[in-house]
Amino acid sequence: MPGITAYGFYVPRHRLERSKIAAGWGTSPPPGEIAVGNYDEDALTMGVEAAGACLDDKSAPDALFFASTSSPYAEKQVASVIATACDLPRNTQTADFGGSIRAGVSALVAAANALRAATRRDVLVVASDCRLAAPESDLEGVLGDAAAAVRVGSEDVLADIVAVSHVSEEFTHFWRTGEQRFLQALTGKFSNTYGYVRDVAEAVRDLLAGQGLEPAQLSKLAAYAPDARAAVDLCKRLGLDPKTQLVAPPVAAIGSAGAADALLALGAALDTASPGDWIVVAGYGEGAEAVLLRATDALPAHRAQRSWSAWLAAKSSLPSYQKYLKLRRIIAVDGGGEAINNVLEHKELKQDMRLYGSRCEDCGEVQYPMARVCIRCGARDRLADHKLAKSGAIFTFTIDYLIANVELPLPMAVVDLDGGGRVYLQVTDFIEAEVEIGKPVVLTYRWLHDGGGNHNYYWKARPVR
Amino acid sequence: MKDQVAVIGVGCTNFGELFDKGYEELICDAAFAAYADAGIEPSQIDAAYLGTYMPGPAGGKAAVSLGDALRLYDRPITRVENYCATGTDAFRNGCMAIASGAADVVLVLGAEKLRDRGGRGLPRFGHPLLAKGNSAPGLFALAATRYMHTFGIGREFLAKVAVKNHFNGARNAKAHMRMEVTEEKVLNAPMIASPFGLFDCCPTTDGAAAAILCRADIASRFNPDFVLVKGFGLAVTSGRPYYDPTFDYLGFRSTQMAAQQAYEMAGVTARDIRFAEVHDCFTWTEIVNTEDLGFCERGQGGHLAAEGRTAIGGDIPINPSGGLKSFGHPIGASGVRMIYECVEQIRGRCGERQVANAELGLAHNVGGPGAVACVIVLGAR
Repeated sequence: MPGITAYGFYVPRHRLERSKIAAGWGTSPPPGEIAVGNYDEDALTMGVEAAGACLDDKSAPDALFFASTSSPYAEKQVASVIATACDLPRNTQTADFGGSIRAGVSALVAAANALRAATRRDVLVVASDCRLAAPESDLEGVLGDAAAAVRVGSEDVLADIVAVSHVSEEFTHFWRTGEQRFLQALTGKFSNTYGYVRDVAEAVRDLLAGQGLEPAQLSKLAAYAPDARAAVDLCKRLGLDPKTQLVAPPVAAIGSAGAADALLALGAALDTASPGDWIVVAGYGEGAEAVLLRATDALPAHRAQRSWSAWLAAKSSLPSYQKYLKLRRIIAVDGGGEAINNVLEHKELKQDMRLYGSRCEDCGEVQYPMARVCIRCGARDRLADHKLAKSGAIFTFTIDYLIANVELPLPMAVVDLDGGGRVYLQVTDFIEAEVEIGKPVVLTYRWLHDGGGNHNYYWKARPVR
Repeated sequence: MKDQVAVIGVGCTNFGELFDKGYEELICDAAFAAYADAGIEPSQIDAAYLGTYMPGPAGGKAAVSLGDALRLYDRPITRVENYCATGTDAFRNGCMAIASGAADVVLVLGAEKLRDRGGRGLPRFGHPLLAKGNSAPGLFALAATRYMHTFGIGREFLAKVAVKNHFNGARNAKAHMRMEVTEEKVLNAPMIASPFGLFDCCPTTDGAAAAILCRADIASRFNPDFVLVKGFGLAVTSGRPYYDPTFDYLGFRSTQMAAQQAYEMAGVTARDIRFAEVHDCFTWTEIVNTEDLGFCERGQGGHLAAEGRTAIGGDIPINPSGGLKSFGHPIGASGVRMIYECVEQIRGRCGERQVANAELGLAHNVGGPGAVACVIVLGAR
């Protein structure tokens, strides 16, 4: 039986208190906060981070599905970009799922189907969203940025995928046309009751009935929710106790991350579930989709390296609503710069994106960029491709206040990587005290600049948090 | 090659934000002054070298920019570009043209119009992904951070270099920034790239400088007040030191190797050098240069400045001109401007900035940072 073999999260460091949004508009302050991607984060970069949380050196997945309603590209597959940044083999199957915030669960169902059909043995599902709300709209303060990943396989399964169910029928709730930048919605009681609660409840009820399960037997419902109240209404409709059986939906803690929400909630459920627990993950949008899982004995030994609650706790507060507007490009900022062309990209893909350097077969020195002559011993053509580690420590640095960049200051650091190799990278998601000689950093794939009418991405360093 | 080449004339424009002067006008101003100083006519020039780091809309891409400005045609002219060592490397090439016997009289001219571009600092060229985010101050700052961490010196040591060089530059009519600064002002200036504040950085400057070289054995025919080239050296190391796991960031091997070549050619040691014009693009760079050039031990450069030993009256005066810090740094011109200062010091024509017993001096550029350095040793005949 196919099942979940690994799962992971990514939540950006920045939080914006909803009270700061209210202060911007002179309205009464609601409680809570939203997670806000940095200026160099988008659904793609957060997806790389979440995918990395599900990968190890032991084996590579043979498919990667990416789900998002806020891809940085209207046309260009992001799954393949993530697969490359994660150094997956060229024969990996990749596909993007989008068009609806249901896409995260749809991708999970597609992965389960591929396993059942035995066409794939190991599928990495990545769901990521950073949707924009129009300033002063009802959705502002409701949407947040985050990514989740789950790996579906048949070995060392920590939760079996038992059954799936679908509801598909037009209901106008959330949308965005090709010309629109901000998410559109008809929010409120009608949409929540006749759209969200009705569709999701039907999918979940079908799922439980198909397996002869009573609502009381369900340990956790991990569902997308447009707001915290709607999730409680859903539980009541299903006869579930929201206090004990509902995973708090991401919208309450960090804002709704759209396609990632259901998988984030699934991960949160798996963080605390016990072997034998029944879990339902449910997505919503133009209908609903639900997956029934049962935790196995392997779960306690295979939980996420970094839990949902740890991600929620590792945060820092933005100074103002205006800063949020700038980071999310709601007010115009000047990008620009040299464009990567596809000749250079193609030639250097392994070096720049898969992040390989060279290792000297004579003296062992690991070096970057890739070279023909060893930097230490001078050996010629004795250098083998060497995959660099994504972690290290700062050897030296500067904090640059002059350079042309969206955000200033910009720290630049020389980083000695674990296992060898020295790289020179921008530092992001930092507070100044973290940029010091000897401080640990991890590498993160980020937006670097826009040039040639395109996004240019490269690796940066971020402090360990 | 020692004593085979003489400098018979030098010229230098005022340095600064020369918005009213074009690139070719600066070339003319520097060249005409050098012609007059050398006592030559342009027709007597056999070959010329143009040092410009960054071509602009007004010229600098090729040798024709020098030829057209001076109407100097029908003879070999070469543009030299070697990062911040452009000016001294152009001079070095001129020396080699004479020493090889290919030319008897050579014009070396460095010219740069950095302020024509608008904006701050220098534009960045290069790979669209790798090392994106580097700046000139940011690159030297990587080394300064590591150096200061290792030797436990603070920004106040850097500030003393700025105070000294502004003091000298305030007394130099051609300098870009003719004002003194206090240590407090340097330390409280806005940060540019840590640990460098505004007054740790040289300005972006327009300017040009020229030198006329000739065979030493015929120098007195033109100008009896000539100065001899005693030695020169140039060394290239990695232009990507930030990727070099073997680099400790505590000094620049390019400077050390270039100095070794120049000292060997001149038959001198660092102790024989009476004064030096060194590449103080940032205050810390001067500190490390004094170590790399052998004027003090590793880690002692900050103390050398703090103890006043690098002042004009000190035992090893550094940058009596005011240096890049105060005189300004039009990149391709800077090296030739240093030659100008060395020649004038050796001739004893520097007034209140005159170094006592200035019979042996040195000009030094380092760029890249650390990727390339050039050292020229000049002495009295």
